[in-house]
Amino acid sequence: MTSTYVATLELAAGAVLLSAVMTLWRRSVSSIVAMLRLQGVALCAVAVDLALHENDRALLVTGALVLVVKGVVVPTVLRRVAKWDPRSRESRPLVNVPASLVFAAGLIVLSYVVGTRITSLSPDDATRLAPLGLATVLVGYFMLVTRRRAVSKIVGLIVVDNGIALVTFLLTSGVPLIVELGSSLDVMLVVVVLQFLMASVRHHSRIDALTELRELRD
Amino acid sequence: MTLLLVALGVGALAALAGAALARRWRVAVASTLGALGCVLAVFAAVTTLRGGATTTFHSAQVLPLSGVSLTLDPLAAWFILVSSIVGAAACVYNVGYAHGALASRPAQSTFMLFTFSLIAVPSASNITTFMFGWELMALSSLLLILTEHARHVEARSAALWYGVMTQLGAASILLGLLLVSSHGSAQSFAAISAHAAGLSPATRSLAFLLVLGGFASKAGAVPLHVWLPKAHPAAPSSVSALMSSAMVAMGVYGIIRVGQGLLHGGTVWWWFAVTLLGVVSAMYGALHATTSNDLKRLLAYSTIDIIGLVLTGVGAAGALKDSGQPMVAHLALGAALLLVLAHAAFKGALFLAAGAIDRSAGTRDLDLLGGLIHVMPVTATVIVFGAGAIMAVPTLSGFSSEWLLLQSFLHGFTALSTPVVIVMLLGTVALALTGGLTAVAFVKVIGIGFLGRARSEGAANAHEASRSMLVAMGALTIPSVFLGVAPGLVGAWWERAVSLALGRSSDPYTPSTGVVLARLGGAIAPAAVLVALIGVMSLVWLLSQNRTARHARRVDAWGCGRDGQTSRMQYTATSFAEPLQRVFADVLRPQSDVEVTHVVESRYYEQSLSYESRIVDVFEARGYRPIIGWVLRAGGAARRLQNGSLDRYLAFGFGALIAILVVG
Repeated sequence: MTSTYVATLELAAGAVLLSAVMTLWRRSVSSIVAMLRLQGVALCAVAVDLALHENDRALLVTGALVLVVKGVVVPTVLRRVAKWDPRSRESRPLVNVPASLVFAAGLIVLSYVVGTRITSLSPDDATRLAPLGLATVLVGYFMLVTRRRAVSKIVGLIVVDNGIALVTFLLTSGVPLIVELGSSLDVMLVVVVLQFLMASVRHHSRIDALTELRELRD
Repeated sequence: MTLLLVALGVGALAALAGAALARRWRVAVASTLGALGCVLAVFAAVTTLRGGATTTFHSAQVLPLSGVSLTLDPLAAWFILVSSIVGAAACVYNVGYAHGALASRPAQSTFMLFTFSLIAVPSASNITTFMFGWELMALSSLLLILTEHARHVEARSAALWYGVMTQLGAASILLGLLLVSSHGSAQSFAAISAHAAGLSPATRSLAFLLVLGGFASKAGAVPLHVWLPKAHPAAPSSVSALMSSAMVAMGVYGIIRVGQGLLHGGTVWWWFAVTLLGVVSAMYGALHATTSNDLKRLLAYSTIDIIGLVLTGVGAAGALKDSGQPMVAHLALGAALLLVLAHAAFKGALFLAAGAIDRSAGTRDLDLLGGLIHVMPVTATVIVFGAGAIMAVPTLSGFSSEWLLLQSFLHGFTALSTPVVIVMLLGTVALALTGGLTAVAFVKVIGIGFLGRARSEGAANAHEASRSMLVAMGALTIPSVFLGVAPGLVGAWWERAVSLALGRSSDPYTPSTGVVLARLGGAIAPAAVLVALIGVMSLVWLLSQNRTARHARRVDAWGCGRDGQTSRMQYTATSFAEPLQRVFADVLRPQSDVEVTHVVESRYYEQSLSYESRIVDVFEARGYRPIIGWVLRAGGAARRLQNGSLDRYLAFGFGALIAILVVG
């Protein structure tokens, strides 16, 4: 029983990080969004696995919430935004794909180096995986910084959020439901706002690479 | 204490009245309440000074963390007396003076807040209350400087200078106080004072230097004075009177309270530094006062001069106490406190009178005034008394305080330690030199501004100020005369304040109306001098009446061979100060421009010639401008970091996160 729990947990947490790295690898916006969906599902799996192990019903509800918001709603909205321009690709990221992957490897190593200090506080099966969450946060942040398209940036932001959620799940078996609810709704709101923003920006200027928006601030 | 709380409550009501009432009632009601509150505060202070008892008040509800703590002891009472006397006069003056921007809701309520913050600061007895009062005082005065920014453009830059200096000062004070309070982890002054002995000497010295920097900047000590000659003239006159007489006194109060009260005197070097600040300020202020032509700027520089002398006294007291001469130390600090009160009264009156002149003649440039004694007789009388007091004319307040100061310096020479003797020597020199320079400055004010003939239309058409303004100025003249004629009557009061700061010692004074120092050998009896003066002058007057009645002969004055003297033939303020300006050219660094326009036909003839001479503050030009330049350049370089690109800002955040992870 315990070994199944650990194996599932490792697999799911690993999938969260793997999907984060894959968002860096894929160029087409639709497959980036698909990776995000995978990440949502994996995050849900982490929550559910922990909930079953610890008999925590609130965590089970949180897991369901994660699945709905991060596995279904957010990717669907983003996919709709991406569909407006089917050929939309992350064609010229600030750091190219191979370099990004190398960089991501560096970030994962850094997370493990830093994370050992956290895991040594209470070494158990879940806490041991916390560096994966930290690595997801850093990879998401990296994506946020280096990708030009608005959709990719928002994906980066959601990856950061998923990473934070993963860390909280692993370290504290989930934050109280109300907090998770709040942060999930936050993310959803950001995505919805983005949807409207992109619609109106495209309507006015047909630009969606945010670097080209520098002149707008004046 | 109850009386003081009621006074502060009435002050809060006055501020509310200023903020809430309609224009018709606002100024009158707020000023009346303000004056009432100040009078109550005077009574509270006098009660404490007479009885010598210390009362406290604490409420945990009002301010967070520590609550409000107020303590009314003789030292605080002395400074409350200073603020509330000037505050009451300024409130009365406000009735006739406030109009336009100054009569607006924000200005009136801020004015009342400022007045009562000056009463709250000395009574505060924990760090939070003190800093709250201090910041209230600083911010309200900052706003008041800006009241007339539409009329005086220079008010904006003055406010900027003042804002930066006062906030740096406040930060420095807070840092110093926290340094001493962190040791016993207590923030009431009594607890800090009890724990201070356990601090290491280095910590105590560092704390004192930090606090000294902040308070000296508020007191206007050179080289931290640059804001003062800008801010005091730019503020409305009722505000400049308060700033110049009561607010600078808060700086002195802070130095005494922290240096002597909380840190118990420290080492002789602290007080050597205070004296040095005082001496430099006194001389520099007096020198600039003689060469200033703007009446309020001149008064502002003379504030630096007098506060310099006060600091010299405070420094001397500290040094003498450390070298084991408590009685002379008491004398020096007593002289400093008396000078603070005397200065508050006469400088308040002078600033209020300057405001009346500015309002009525439309200018405060001495080169454009003249002959005001004929059109503004009461204002002129106030100025004459004020100038007499500041020049230390016997029987006026400046004399008794400066005489005491000189006595303490002279008796201090018997000290065995070299730094103390140097302090005494510096003090004596400063007192002697500034006495002369101050006399020049104020002879100039009276001679050029009030005698002779009007130099401008405004001065010719000037008229006497409104009644409330005259009452306020006149009322502030009374302390000058009283402290000059009978300082001994309040001698026990300041001795109580001094005892609180320095600890008890044998009382140097023998009761009398004058000041009699029986144990040290020295006495003045200004009342007797006054009687004798009046007697001699009446005798002379009687005799001359007798003679002139027999021999009077009326002839025309000699007109140098010309008819029709014009006002341009008179001596001006600039020409009066010119010889001194030449003598002290190395310090003052006057800059002059001569511009000659030639006649088109021949370059041997000149069509017009213009001459301009200005004196810049050498500390500002050499000390502050370069620093401001660096800061601006650093700001310009920092601007390159932000170009408006979202990616760049995100990258900064990412970089910072990585750096924290790596370093942490």
